[in-house]
Amino acid sequence: MEKPVTRDPGFYVMVAIGLAVMFAAPLMLDLFTIMQITQYVVLSVFALSLGYIWGFGGILSFGQAAFFGLGAYTFAVASINMGSTTIPMVLAFIIPTIFGVLLGYFMFYGRLSDVYLGVVTLVVALIFWKLINHTAGPEYSIGSARLGGFNGIPSIPTLHIPGDPTAWLDPGQMFQVFMGFLIVIYIALRFLIASDFGRVSIGIRENETRASLLGYDVRKQKVVVFAIGGGIAGIAGAMWATYQAFIDPNSVSMEMSAKALVWVMAGGVGTLVGPIIGCILLQWLTLQLGTVDVVNSIAVLGAIMMILVLALPRGIVPTVRSLMLGGYFLWKRNHGTTIPGKAVKE
Amino acid sequence: MNDILTTRGLTMRFGGVTAVDNVDFNLRDGELRCLLGPNGAGKSTFFKCLTGQLTPTEGNVTFAGQDLTGAHTHRIVNLGVGIKTQVPNVFDGITAYENVRLSARRKHLKPLARELTMTTLERCGITHLARREVGLLSHGQRQLVELAMVLAGEPKLILLDEPAAGMTGDERDRLAQLVLESARSAAVVVVEHDMAFIRQIAKFVTVFNRGAIFREAMIDDIMQDREVQEIYLGKQANAA
Repeated sequence: MEKPVTRDPGFYVMVAIGLAVMFAAPLMLDLFTIMQITQYVVLSVFALSLGYIWGFGGILSFGQAAFFGLGAYTFAVASINMGSTTIPMVLAFIIPTIFGVLLGYFMFYGRLSDVYLGVVTLVVALIFWKLINHTAGPEYSIGSARLGGFNGIPSIPTLHIPGDPTAWLDPGQMFQVFMGFLIVIYIALRFLIASDFGRVSIGIRENETRASLLGYDVRKQKVVVFAIGGGIAGIAGAMWATYQAFIDPNSVSMEMSAKALVWVMAGGVGTLVGPIIGCILLQWLTLQLGTVDVVNSIAVLGAIMMILVLALPRGIVPTVRSLMLGGYFLWKRNHGTTIPGKAVKE
Repeated sequence: MNDILTTRGLTMRFGGVTAVDNVDFNLRDGELRCLLGPNGAGKSTFFKCLTGQLTPTEGNVTFAGQDLTGAHTHRIVNLGVGIKTQVPNVFDGITAYENVRLSARRKHLKPLARELTMTTLERCGITHLARREVGLLSHGQRQLVELAMVLAGEPKLILLDEPAAGMTGDERDRLAQLVLESARSAAVVVVEHDMAFIRQIAKFVTVFNRGAIFREAMIDDIMQDREVQEIYLGKQANAA
C-alpha cells in the first residue's frame, strides 16, 4: 500500500496489457468481435467507477446507474444540439460530477448510515428511471433533442476527432479511443489512490471514527470520492451512448446498477483490476449463455454468481493474487538455493 | 487563569436518564488528570462530550478559550486535541506505519511527516511493528499504535479513554512511561479503571459517580477515602 505506483511492477504490466490490446486487437480481430469487445471496454469504465468508490472510499452505492444514465443522456442531448461530440463528452463528466457533489452533500452531511445510503442511491436511480420513462411526448425536448421516454433517443452522433465533426471514427478507431479512456482512467485512479487524498479515503473506509479523530473531515472527503465516481460513471454513460448511437431508460435501470455491483463483487472489492475482470468475464458469460437455448441463461448466471460468492468471497483478483503470492513463497522455500544471493535457512 | 479545558454545567441526557449531570470541570495547562469512577458513573459520556462524539444537552465546553460545545470531532482535533477512544479505533487494513503517517501528515509536509512517524513509532516502542498490518496485531499492540497516532498529531491536550485495557504488564509499564512523558508537553486527561496503572501515573484525580463529580483530590487521599471505596464497592445504597 505504501509502495509508490511507479515502483509497482503490476501497474506496468496492466498498462502494457491495456496498450497491447488497444493496438493489436483491431489488427487481429474481425469487425464484429471488435464491436463486441468495445462494449466490454465501456462497461469496464462503469465498473471502475463503482470499484473506486466502494473499494477505496467505502461507499456502497446501489444506484451507480443514475450517474451512468445521466452521463449518457447529457451526452446525447448535448451532442444532438451541438452537432459535435467533444464538449458533450466533457459535459458528460462535469454534470454527473456536480450531481454527485449535490447528492453526496445531502447524504454525507446528513450523516446517513451505510444502509440508508444504499436505499437513497437506489431510490435516486429509480426516480431517474421513472422520470425518463415519462418523457415520451414531444413536449419533452431539450433544444432539438427529444428525450423520447421509453423509446429512447436515436441517432446519437458517433465520436469524431475534436474540432472536425465530419471526421467520424470507424469502429476500430472508436475501440482504440475507448481503450485509451479506460487506460487513462485506470492510471489516474491508481495515482489518486496512492496520493495523500487516496490514503485518507482508505483510512475512512477502514475506520471513519479514527479518520475524524485525526482531524480529517470525513463528510467532505466522501463527497469528493462519490462525485469522482459519479463523473467516471458519466463518462462511461457517454461512451455507451455514442457507441450504440442510441440510449434508452434501460441505462438507468436497476439492472444496470445491480450488474455493476456484481462485477465489482466478483472481481474483488478493493482492487481496480478486479472490477474490470469481473465485468468482462460476466458480460462474456451472459453473452455465451444467451446463445444457448437448452437452459435458462439467467438461472445459470445466478448459479455462477452464487458459486463465486461462496467459493471466492473476496473476489477473483484478491484470491488469485494471494494464491500467486503463496505459490511464490512456497517456490522460494523449496528452491531457495536457486535465488542468487539468498542463503537457505533450515 | 491558565485553564486549557473547562466545562460549565455540562449535562447529557438520554431520554429520562441523566448520564452527565451539571459538571463543572477545570484542567490547567500541562496538567495530568485521571478520571475514575465505577461503571456507569458517566466518565465515558463526559469524555464523548469533550471529543464531539456527543453533543451535550446543556452546558458548554471551552478549550484554550474557544467554545467547542457541539463542534465536529475533526474541528476539535484540528484545534489541537488528541483523542484515544475506549475501543481502539485504528485502520485495520493498513500497516502501523501508514496508520501513524496519516496522523503526522495532517499538519506536516511529506518528509517531515515521515520523520515524525518514525520517531513516534520509536517513542512508543513499536518500530518493529511498522510494516505489519494493524488488524493482525494484539489488542495491546493496537492500543500502542493508536497512542502513536494520537501523539503524532502533536496535540496540546490529550484525551485517553481506558488506554491500558487489554495490555500486558510490560505494555502497561511502557504506556505509563509514555503518558508521563507526554504530560511534559501537553495536558492529559486519562479515563481508567485499572488501579495498578492509575497508581503509576496519577497525581490529581477526579472521581465521578452517578454523572457528577464526586471528589477531586490527590491520588493518595482518594485511595484513603472511605466514601470513594464505598461507591467502588457498590455500598452507596446502604450509606444513603
